[in-house]
Amino acid sequence: MAIIPKRKRRPTFHRRKVCRFCVDSKLVIDHKDVNTLRNFITERGKIIPRRISGNCARHQRKITTAIKRARHLALMPYTASMIQG
Amino acid sequence: MHRYETIFVVNPDLSDDETQNVIQKFTGIISATGGVQLKLEDWGRRRLAYKIDKFNQGYYVLVDFAGMPAGLMELERNLKIDDRIIRYLSVKTGVNVNVEALQQELAAKAKPVEEKPETAPTAAGEEEAAPAAASSEPEPVTTPEE
Repeated sequence: MAIIPKRKRRPTFHRRKVCRFCVDSKLVIDHKDVNTLRNFITERGKIIPRRISGNCARHQRKITTAIKRARHLALMPYTASMIQG
Repeated sequence: MHRYETIFVVNPDLSDDETQNVIQKFTGIISATGGVQLKLEDWGRRRLAYKIDKFNQGYYVLVDFAGMPAGLMELERNLKIDDRIIRYLSVKTGVNVNVEALQQELAAKAKPVEEKPETAPTAAGEEEAAPAAASSEPEPVTTPEE
């Protein structure tokens, strides 16, 4: 009868993400720059949350407004299904 | 005078002449209301991310200008009325800007590009432009409902 050792929960490693806009001040958030904004949406077109994207609050806010403006101008999709639609 | 940036999407089915007429109409409104056009970018026909009024494409035009708030209101009123415009968005990019300084800056920026195309678009030149537009924080002037 082997005693199954209780598996120790390995401490999860979190690599602290750094806001890329704080690191490089040359990067500008702009609703016309769709290629940059595309890094912050999912395949479905949803905005990636801060805890995953690693942005700071200030820059996440700017990203969010920029994406919403780009959506209004049809530079970016609201949802993925609308592409086929 | 504030600095604004307006992007509007023109019906893609219009002929080139008609499209140019539309652009001239709206740049005309800017100058007629005392605004100064700083930059006009013609992005041409682009695929829309989703259909608007059954169009899959749109003809994008960007106008960067300095003007009075009343001028912008007049411009937006006309954009709203015109059937050939399928979308527009205006953003304020600078408050209380000095028009002559901006024009000189743009001219200065344009010149070195012609002389030295390799090294010209330096980041330093771009950063000069930002503080001139006092608060570089773009705030939405209007987000028209569709």
